[in-house]
Amino acid sequence: MNERNIIYAMLYRQLRRYFRAKSRVLGTIINPLMFFLFLGMGFSASMRGISAAIGVDYLAFLAPGIAVMTTFTASFIGGISVIWDREFGFLKEVLVAPASRTYAILGRALGDSVTSVLQTFLIMILIYAIVPSLKVGGMLFALGTCFITSLMFNSLGIAIASKMRSPEGFQLIANVLIFPLIFLSGAFYPIENLPAVVKPIFYINPLTYSVDLTRYFMVGISSLPVHLDLTVLLLLTAIFTFLSARTFNRTTLD
Amino acid sequence: MSAISVRNLVKKFGSLTAVDGISFDVEKGEIFGFLGPNGAGKTTTINILVTLMRPTSGEAYVAGYNVVEEPVKVRERIGIVFQDPSVDRNLTGWENLYIHGLVYGLRGEELRRRVEESLEFAELTKFKDVEVKNYSGGMIRRLEIARGLMHKPEILFLDEPTIGLDPQTRAKIWEYVEKLRDEEGVTVFLTTHYIEEAERLCDRVAIIDHGRIVAMGSPDELKQGIGKDVIYVRVGDNSSAARLLEGLNKGMLVSYKELNGVLALSVSNASKAIPTVFEVASRMGIRIEEIKYTQPSLSDVFLHYTGREMRDEEADWREVIRMRHRMR
Ligand SMILES: Nc1ncnc2c1ncn2[C@@H]1O[C@H](COP(=O)(O)OP(=O)(O)OP(=O)(O)O)[C@@H](O)[C@H]1O
Ligand SMILES: [Mg+2]
Repeated sequence: MNERNIIYAMLYRQLRRYFRAKSRVLGTIINPLMFFLFLGMGFSASMRGISAAIGVDYLAFLAPGIAVMTTFTASFIGGISVIWDREFGFLKEVLVAPASRTYAILGRALGDSVTSVLQTFLIMILIYAIVPSLKVGGMLFALGTCFITSLMFNSLGIAIASKMRSPEGFQLIANVLIFPLIFLSGAFYPIENLPAVVKPIFYINPLTYSVDLTRYFMVGISSLPVHLDLTVLLLLTAIFTFLSARTFNRTTLD
Repeated sequence: MSAISVRNLVKKFGSLTAVDGISFDVEKGEIFGFLGPNGAGKTTTINILVTLMRPTSGEAYVAGYNVVEEPVKVRERIGIVFQDPSVDRNLTGWENLYIHGLVYGLRGEELRRRVEESLEFAELTKFKDVEVKNYSGGMIRRLEIARGLMHKPEILFLDEPTIGLDPQTRAKIWEYVEKLRDEEGVTVFLTTHYIEEAERLCDRVAIIDHGRIVAMGSPDELKQGIGKDVIYVRVGDNSSAARLLEGLNKGMLVSYKELNGVLALSVSNASKAIPTVFEVASRMGIRIEEIKYTQPSLSDVFLHYTGREMRDEEADWREVIRMRHRMR
């Protein structure tokens, strides 16, 4: 019974905090939107060949990439709040509570994922308005995929952040990881035609599977078998969630 | 069964021994205080007792449960106010309490009622929808104490509950804590480096220094333990001081010391001895420039056991304090 309480408590907290910081909501949308507009319009206008090679309009191709990018950045960075909680003391309030830490961290990841997906949803509305060829029916499934992606990377973020002592350290790791992961995920260009030597890099990047599955739902094309995408995502989400719960369970003030 | 029972507790951080083999018991329903200077190991001890740190060695039981083996059982029975704020600054007072209640298993009407009660207790009802980052230090402290009590713990830990607060707020918090003990029977373990707080509030005090308990007992016991009142007499120069000392009946002095024209006389009852001192001085024609007496305070107790001062005395008297120490 208490498990439900702690999950709800942490979910409630993350949502409250999120909606109180309205400027942040706006800020996190602007970045991916600029990517979409400048990258998308630039490429589709100047390189008509791209669209022909992919088989769909480049803007449509890029749309799921931007959606996943939004989710990924928001959720991974969300992990940093664990460090802020340590700095501002709230972490102790959670650590000393009799409730299960596993469920506490799960509630937190759920909360962060809900906000990440909300953000993605806002982006998607804009994107769907700009690119009418996207499948409206697939939007819900695409958001579902983004939700799993968010759980996965938020948990990873929490696991890393729990080991860090300073927000700057985490920021550094985030900066080093975020852009390569996005660029090497097939968010911006199809992975089929890449040279065989670089392909493995894409295959070990979890984001590749998120982008591919989201693209399947939003556009109707995919580079990999859909069931493979789903299996990899669910498996990695389970692993990262387990990791974050384990690190959090072991957290002390030493 | 004691509320808290600690045996040979040690905590090391690398080569630093923050807690150095302490043992003590806290009885149910008492206010027990750790009095000690910065870095004495007070917070470290609390962190171990509330299950947030593992001891290097030794054992600690809180509410009958071993803090290392059954941390969740311990957590269910305690409330804590940490030394540094641990509220979510971006949430309102109401939200902080609401989340706390949820985490401690409250729900529905009961939860909402307790939140309101706690707000009232902390006298923050008017500010319940204000983000905590806009609260004053005193308001945050009251919110945290109310939060620590919201789930009705058996044992309440207060780490420097009134640090940095104004005297009014401090007095109010003392009242709260006493009320808790008297009306709810809550056991309170607190740390402080304010002498006044320990004297006024604690049923028993352990004086802690460098990770060790140097003395323990009720404030009265501790003060009696180190002896008597001290009278300081300033007579100007060493020779008059020596002459005055000659004239005084040695039987009334427990011990004495003189330095730079100041006599420090340790007596069993200062109010009776002072008139005698005046009498003798005027008989011998010695002019007394200044006279002052102190009953031992916990600060003297600290000095007695550690050889150092807990806080700065007036500069004038610093010397005599040091002298008094040497006298023993
Ligand atoms: N996590 C830690 N890692 C390393 N050293 C620590 C840690 N926590 C405390 N210490 C050290 O242990 C000693 C005792 O610290 P502690 O915080 O227990 O003192 P305190 O009595 O609470 O003092 P204060 O009045 O400053 O709060 C100090 O020297 C402190 O620097
Ligand atoms: Mg401390």
